[in-house]
Amino acid sequence: MRRPNPGILTMLPVLVFLLAGFVIPILVVALYSLMPPRTFDLAGSPTFTNYATAFADGYWRPLMWSALGAAATTLICLVLAWPTARALDRFAGRWATLVTLLIALPIFISESVRLFGLALFMMPGGGILAGSIDALFGVSIGTILYTRLAALLGLVYIHFPFVLFPLLLGVSLVPKDQVAAARDLGASGWQVFREIEAPLAAPGAAVGALLCFVLSLGANAEMNILGGQAVTVITNAIEQRFNYAQDWPLGAALTVLTVLLTAAVVFPVLRRIDVDSLARR
Amino acid sequence: MNGRAKPLFDSLQAAWLLLVLVLLYIPMISVALASLSNTRYMLFPHRTWTTDAYADALAGYTTGALHLTSLRIALLVVVISVVLASFGALAFARFDWRGRRAFQRFLVLPLFFPQPVLGLALLVYFTALGITPSWQTAAFAHLVWIVPVVTLVISIRLYNYDVLQEDAAFDLGATRLQVLREVTLPALAPGIVSGALFAFLLSWSNLPLSVFTSGADTTLPEWLYSRTATNYSPMVPAIAVIATAVSAMVVIAAALGLSLARGRDGAGTTS
Amino acid sequence: MGTILSTQAVSKRFGDVIALDDVSLEIREGEFFTIVGPSGSGKSTLLRILAGLETPAAGRVHLRNADITDVPANRRPTCMVFQNLALFSHRSVGENIEFSQKMKGVPPHERREHALDMMRIVRLPESYYGRRVTHCSGGEQQRVALARALASDPEILFFDEPLSSIDYRLRKILEVEMKDLHRRTGKTFVYITHSLEEAMVMSDRIAIMKSGRIVQSGTPTDIYYRPTNRFVAEFMGEVNVFELAGGQIAELGIAVPAGAAGCLAVRPEFLRKLGDGERADVRFPATVANDYMLGSRTHYHLDTGKRILVAEVAAGKAAEITVGAKAEWGFDLSDAALLDE
Repeated sequence: MRRPNPGILTMLPVLVFLLAGFVIPILVVALYSLMPPRTFDLAGSPTFTNYATAFADGYWRPLMWSALGAAATTLICLVLAWPTARALDRFAGRWATLVTLLIALPIFISESVRLFGLALFMMPGGGILAGSIDALFGVSIGTILYTRLAALLGLVYIHFPFVLFPLLLGVSLVPKDQVAAARDLGASGWQVFREIEAPLAAPGAAVGALLCFVLSLGANAEMNILGGQAVTVITNAIEQRFNYAQDWPLGAALTVLTVLLTAAVVFPVLRRIDVDSLARR
Repeated sequence: MNGRAKPLFDSLQAAWLLLVLVLLYIPMISVALASLSNTRYMLFPHRTWTTDAYADALAGYTTGALHLTSLRIALLVVVISVVLASFGALAFARFDWRGRRAFQRFLVLPLFFPQPVLGLALLVYFTALGITPSWQTAAFAHLVWIVPVVTLVISIRLYNYDVLQEDAAFDLGATRLQVLREVTLPALAPGIVSGALFAFLLSWSNLPLSVFTSGADTTLPEWLYSRTATNYSPMVPAIAVIATAVSAMVVIAAALGLSLARGRDGAGTTS
Repeated sequence: MGTILSTQAVSKRFGDVIALDDVSLEIREGEFFTIVGPSGSGKSTLLRILAGLETPAAGRVHLRNADITDVPANRRPTCMVFQNLALFSHRSVGENIEFSQKMKGVPPHERREHALDMMRIVRLPESYYGRRVTHCSGGEQQRVALARALASDPEILFFDEPLSSIDYRLRKILEVEMKDLHRRTGKTFVYITHSLEEAMVMSDRIAIMKSGRIVQSGTPTDIYYRPTNRFVAEFMGEVNVFELAGGQIAELGIAVPAGAAGCLAVRPEFLRKLGDGERADVRFPATVANDYMLGSRTHYHLDTGKRILVAEVAAGKAAEITVGAKAEWGFDLSDAALLDE
């Protein structure tokens, strides 16, 4: 009578695939990071030289730039997404569905197209913005293209929907009668936000912020297309070690450091969030 | 803010949403505008507005080759991810088993992982295994984060699915196979279709994974990425527009097909 | 009327929870049999075992003389109407009703005829045939579920609280329809509910379940007026229970001939205000503490000085009783039931 549990049977294909495509690759990279510098196989005796080099040669700098960029992006996105989520929730049901759809659509348009479009828009001289202003008002304006600020703008632009949608889910979970009750009991707008809305919307906000931070941490297209490589971000640093410097172990060590930073952020948040009930919505 | 409806506040909120939408679409509009020129240098407003770039793009060999590579990868990703995710979703949302919560958390991990870093890690992994990166390895890389996405999409559908329908069918004399064919699969079909759609679009537009894992093969986003820095011509934005239009057509076709299937379903029962 | 379905010492447990504990029952051919119990009493599990959707850990299930314990649901001549109805949401009314025949390979036009017949039986208009079930109202969905079950021509129909989520007015209408349908089809109905009212209105016989056991079974009248234990007495509506000790009603100090131990249960309608010189087996003084108008009748809370008793008086006689008035009240032992605990 005793059959294997169908849950375990059905999860096996995905589990096996993710082990082979996610867990093991990371382990392989971790193994490479312990190999002697500039070797290409896994036969060497384990050493921490690469980690020492990573710190001594200033590779903490790209990691810091990436982490700073990711933190700034997350903060800006949260500030922009909160009023947007509130507005969408307020108009829910009417044309808000269409607006929501329109906001979601760009996620499915390639990053390269969108960043390219931003670059075209911001280009000095004959760019869409500068050209139009020049033609209309005869005024020449400068540009922020190829600066850190432009890269940050790109990061915010690309990751805004990833913060907005989880947050929208969180906001929609805030019962309207609780907000009304709090107001009825004399709470001010700020107090309602602090006491009722923020705690109830927190799981959604946390997921959004987490997604945004982690995705921005590894982002390099924004810096390459818009930032003109004003600073070296961690992904570019890793790529340089792998491809041009042919130093796999050092590249692997930098990868492992990034993975550790990601894990340090993801695990504490994810542990507190009930994936089941969030997906159920 | 004191609970009473405030028309001013309402119109402020509406204006804010409009602003967000405009800002979000500026890049797409910029690309479309840039494509309508015939000069090798971007000088807006164009002296001559023309669709020559589209004619060149459609005539050129590259456009077809790029689309073919992206299409191959996307189709492979759709097929494999839908199969894996359908099973995964059953484990995620349908069955109750020990370790389900742990599985749910594990499954979403690849989503909370920087994609370019994943791409680089996979590149090292493939090379260590002696596999030459190509469009197939890019498809594999796409799957690592698309399988969790599709699993979530199908799971959300499964949560709304009444499992007792299966008991009812069985009780009405259906065999296990008939239950699967007549009840389970039709009920899950919309979830599977939207999962497939997600898989296609996410693979079609993916840059950070393809860039490191596709080897000598070049996908559309990769080509656009390389051309934004060097070798600019109006053909680049033109191809960007074409590629985006192709994905839009896939969405429309899927939506039409779905509503057509639904319509035929309804008509069949009344006749 | 012979026995059509019976269980012998059926038990079932889920992990540490005992869902069914040694349940034996007999259901007679053609009767409307209702199993009543609070949630968690095991009644749903019992029904799923009877339907073949669950197998018992111990004990047997017989259909007439055949042992069907291990026969799965799809090969039993029985059919279930589920609590949430479990209609196939992606299909039309007609497709839902035809499902069992489609599974048997009956050709489409025959299925259609049959489905329309079933729709007539449950009084669904023919125009509903092509409608999506999700576009039907609650009451209509109820009828679709009934028609779907009837279309498989089962010998026994099971009902798993199908009316529990329906509003009061519609429920009352459907209760009457259900009883009417039972009479017209002549099939055996096995119904479970946690509502005493539903059970009383519709059933020929009732079984009361508690913690995985059947505590009493019998006709509605038997169970209402002759409960054998305190749980049944209290579950089946308002009741006054008196503890017995040493052949006396302990709190009133009145001797009763019946038994020496246990309890005595008296329904509120048997407590009456005694006129001058009126006799009663048991009598006591009490003050009317409060009145509760229930439409055709009124409930009075009587304060005996030691506790509150409930009396029920038909609307016509209520004028004689005023709140705050002290009077003699009483009842006859022939109207009381002796409980074993």
